Amino acid sequence: MIRAIFLTAVVLAISIGGGAASVWLALSASEGIGAVVISGWTAFPDVGTPHADTYSKARFAREGGLSLGRAEGITFVAQQDTSGNRLRRRCTYQIEGEIPSARFWTLYAADDQRVVLPPTVRRIPALHSQEMLRTVDGAISITASPHPAPGNWLGLSGSGPMQFVLTLYDTPAATSSRVFEISLPQVLRVGCDD
Amino acid sequence: MTRFAHALLLGVVGAGIVHIAVLMLLPYYTERDAWSLLSRSSGYYETTRIGGSGATTPLVRSVDPLFSAVACRFDLADGVLHVDAEGTVPFWSMSVYDRNGQNIYSFNDRTAPDGQVNFVVLTPVQTIEVRKTLPESFVESVFVEADLSEGIVVVRAFVPDPTWSSAIDSFLSGVACTPN
Repeated sequence: MIRAIFLTAVVLAISIGGGAASVWLALSASEGIGAVVISGWTAFPDVGTPHADTYSKARFAREGGLSLGRAEGITFVAQQDTSGNRLRRRCTYQIEGEIPSARFWTLYAADDQRVVLPPTVRRIPALHSQEMLRTVDGAISITASPHPAPGNWLGLSGSGPMQFVLTLYDTPAATSSRVFEISLPQVLRVGCDD
Repeated sequence: MTRFAHALLLGVVGAGIVHIAVLMLLPYYTERDAWSLLSRSSGYYETTRIGGSGATTPLVRSVDPLFSAVACRFDLADGVLHVDAEGTVPFWSMSVYDRNGQNIYSFNDRTAPDGQVNFVVLTPVQTIEVRKTLPESFVESVFVEADLSEGIVVVRAFVPDPTWSSAIDSFLSGVACTPN
């Protein structure tokens, strides 16, 4: 009798505990499902749409987000520079290259929760395509640094890890069939303060 | 010993079932999704600022820092939803989300006729009814047919620099969600 109760308890403990723990692990670890990675920038074209897979749907429901629709735009997030190091707020980065055709785009520096970093002096660290200085061939070069820089300066503040968020608005790249064809700028590390 | 191994095996199978059940039910029972956050701050058909200056319910991952946005919740069981706003801004876009925050339909100012926010969200059954006698106020509207009852509408507007913010604030505060 006691043995039967013990075995039932074991079955229930493994089922409920193991089931709940495996869901929790899957949702906190598997950031990669449904991701599109282009030269270090990651996008999730299907997240927040009815086409997303079950794991993305469950994770999305816990984040409390409302993602951009296909006609609105697509968001790319870079957490590492071109050599694979984690982006840090005390470092200077050069963001260079072409940005796919879009009506306009925005770029900002954010913390891990994707909240924009606090402003340096008066401006929040966010730039958009309509205020860019461009090179003769139309490409862009942005200096993201805690120190003011000539040209396009994205002012960083604080310390710790960060990410760059690039959003293309009203772009043909937003349809997931075309998203693999585009090229995105490189994030090169210039140097660090510490 | 065999019985214990049997119990372990049964436990692993049970864990698989619980895993799938929790995963499928999570979007329906979460209290951290956009719908729950919005319902804590505003009622149906009330527009709420979710991004930009003076956001009452900031949904940080959803709105670009260079954007302002408003959201309103609706229930098509009350009748079709009419959303309109006056004014011209550099860029606006709108999305219709279902109860779980999934994007069902979106468009922007270039895909809307004469660039005005004027659209009607309705179910396929309501479409048949509205087609029979088209109300005067819907003549120029974009019809978004969505097979859902409750949902969220979001209108986002681009703020290129702070000098635009008062114009965009008045544009977004003019966004009206009305059941018909």
